[in-house]
Amino acid sequence: MAASSSSRNVRSAIPWVTTVARLVLGVVLIVAGGLKIGNPSDSVVAVKAYQLLPESLATIVGYALPIVEIIIGILLVIGLMTRVVAVVGALLMLAFVFGIAWAWAKGYKIDCGCFGGGGELKKGQEPTYLLDILRDFGLVVLGVWAARFPPGRFALDGALGLHTVDDKEND
Amino acid sequence: MGKGDREKSARDRIKEQQAADRKREQRRRIITYTTAGVVAVAALGAGILWNMNRSKSEEAGANLAPITVVADAGVTMGNAGVSKPVIDIYEDFQCPACKELERVSGSTFKNLAAEGKAKVVYHPITIFSEEPTRGNSIRAGAAARCVKDGKQWMAFHDTLFEKQPSETVEGFKIDQLVGWGKDVGVTAPDFEQCVTKQQHAAVQQSYSDKVNKEQNLTGTPTVKLNGVEMDNEVLFRPSELREAVLNAAK
Repeated sequence: MAASSSSRNVRSAIPWVTTVARLVLGVVLIVAGGLKIGNPSDSVVAVKAYQLLPESLATIVGYALPIVEIIIGILLVIGLMTRVVAVVGALLMLAFVFGIAWAWAKGYKIDCGCFGGGGELKKGQEPTYLLDILRDFGLVVLGVWAARFPPGRFALDGALGLHTVDDKEND
Repeated sequence: MGKGDREKSARDRIKEQQAADRKREQRRRIITYTTAGVVAVAALGAGILWNMNRSKSEEAGANLAPITVVADAGVTMGNAGVSKPVIDIYEDFQCPACKELERVSGSTFKNLAAEGKAKVVYHPITIFSEEPTRGNSIRAGAAARCVKDGKQWMAFHDTLFEKQPSETVEGFKIDQLVGWGKDVGVTAPDFEQCVTKQQHAAVQQSYSDKVNKEQNLTGTPTVKLNGVEMDNEVLFRPSELREAVLNAAK
């Protein structure tokens, strides 16, 4: 009995964990996008600083990135199309992890530009690649969780009945 | 009809009803999901277009305002008699954000000067202190000081930003600088020697130090409108930049 009641507790906690994962990843994305959007040149310069993409593509990505972040972030927070959006969010963070690892491996001394900033370090500033990677990887995990156990509590998906089938499949 | 048959048909009816409900519910779900998806993608597209549009460059005019090069000072661009507002541009040939400023708003500065709406002063300086960026910047800045003709200077200036090397490698090499100068039509006979011998390297450094201190620069690009530093939000949005300069002229 004790075992089954504790496993029920665990199961009833899952939607709440999803909610937290959605909110944390969503808010981080909204803040990151919001800080970039005030200064579009910064994100263009930051993307170019990674030297990963050809110049013209990097320009487009630089302008698109803050918008993508904000919209994905909003959808995560309100819990609409949770599974698809969480997958996109996790892939986005995975791309950032890859980008930072790339810059690190190549020995570029750049600021990640994660929360605005043009990818350039101020004088005497050292890059914080490991911290950035760990943070972003943690956010990947949150995205994967939300994609595995959607939509969590307080989700528009739930209110609209968009996930009832999935819930049954998961049970 | 026996009792069992009646019960069965009632069960069937209920089952059919449930199946129809499920189908309707599923259709509703698909419609809701599709609608949300379409709205999200549309918002994404509109947002990206809006963000790109805000930074849309002006079409460069056919003519440049007259440009005056002073070897150990800034380079002035403006029509005769136009003395204000003054736009001071502090930029480093090696700085990526400066390259971005030139890409986005370079044509606006040139157009404003050509229209007689402003006097623009370029201050190519070196802000880097570590290699390879410092060396790259000094070589490029010193080479630009070898170009005395205004039009040629501007063409060389534009080329340097266009060809800006990565901050991680040695670039702006002497033979490249000489070649680009010739490409943009620098005709002065002493140009090659001036670049090769880096005749203005010391001036480039001392001018940078002087300007840096006098103007309290925190980085490049810094653009001042009548001595007041302009916000990046305005600088990198050509339409707002133009408006700010026109307002300052009033």
